[in-house]
Amino acid sequence: MTHAALAAEASTVPDERFLIARAQRGDRDAARSLYDAHSRRVHRLVFRLCGGDEEMAQDLTQDTFIRVFDKLSSFRGESAFATWVHRIAVTVTLNGLRKERRLKRGADDLDVANDLPAPSDNVDPDLRARLRAAIEALPPGSRASVILHDIEGYTHAEIGEMLGIAEGTSKARLFDARNRLKKALAAYRNE
Amino acid sequence: MTEERLNELLDDARRTWPLPPEPDYQAMWERIDREAFAGMRRTTRTPSWRIFSIGLAAALMMGIGLGRFSMKEAPAPTVAAVPTDTAATASGAYDRAASELLGRTVALLTSLPSQGRSVAAGERFSNQATELLTSTRLLLDSPAASDARFKDLLEDLELVLAQIAMLQTGRTRQEIDLITDALEERDVVPRIRSAVARLAAGD
Repeated sequence: MTHAALAAEASTVPDERFLIARAQRGDRDAARSLYDAHSRRVHRLVFRLCGGDEEMAQDLTQDTFIRVFDKLSSFRGESAFATWVHRIAVTVTLNGLRKERRLKRGADDLDVANDLPAPSDNVDPDLRARLRAAIEALPPGSRASVILHDIEGYTHAEIGEMLGIAEGTSKARLFDARNRLKKALAAYRNE
Repeated sequence: MTEERLNELLDDARRTWPLPPEPDYQAMWERIDREAFAGMRRTTRTPSWRIFSIGLAAALMMGIGLGRFSMKEAPAPTVAAVPTDTAATASGAYDRAASELLGRTVALLTSLPSQGRSVAAGERFSNQATELLTSTRLLLDSPAASDARFKDLLEDLELVLAQIAMLQTGRTRQEIDLITDALEERDVVPRIRSAVARLAAGD
């Protein structure tokens, strides 16, 4: 399922628009329902964007929803609510990463290979771990492009909206990021 | 490394990227609730009617306070010495409050039978009725209710609005039928319209 389809699905959740309207008036129960509906996907996205730092992911997920409810009165429904929330999550996370300067986990992530689920037949686990480490070593903007497009499945239009950049810029960033990844992995067993 | 090989690796990454451990969503919500709702209160625009209701309540309290003060300070007078222009201003304010209340109530009551049957609409009407109920009760306690006909109307409205405010999910359709029947039996909407006309004419 594409991300656009997921967003469309989220927007058809019964009563979501009504929940948003109620939350805009300060109804905590409605706000809690919106949090319950979106927190898992937001947390997963933030976790991936911040390089698997669980503590940071929890903090930034909370910061995201605090910002969501603080800004909710300005939500006019021009985009799907899920897309709007994820845009805030990306902004909050990238700002958080810049602020904390916790950009790189580097070689430590090679250990993550031990926790990998569902190994693929034709991918060496070491290579998989190296790819992940290479993605996490990218500059935050490039990493966000790869994770949002290639891992989370967002379109360039959606990424442009989330990052506040043109669709073409998103494509150029991804192209650049993928070249970096190819270089980072080229030396590994003639890849 | 070729583009195809990188695509293959990224496809694999999409399927195998570790999921985060399940956090304590409840504990996370508690911080969000604590911090976000201060923000929501800050940014949520207070409806003008609510501001007016608060103003009306404040005016009533001030009136009571002034009344008590004047009784202490000057117990002798047998007739309240309220300047004519002040009394007229207060009366005008009550009339405007009553007109706005009646206008909003008639809009609610006329759209209720056709639009209020879904769960979402039922809840929206319930919230509107709760707001209107507060204003109705404030007016019932104000000099605006000194007119017997108007007081009767406000008391009927209070009952109807209380019913709408208590609309329950899953029973919306039956409850709205009962409310609509009550509205028709008591001629509530025509009475509101004639009251609005009287207020507009300054009777």
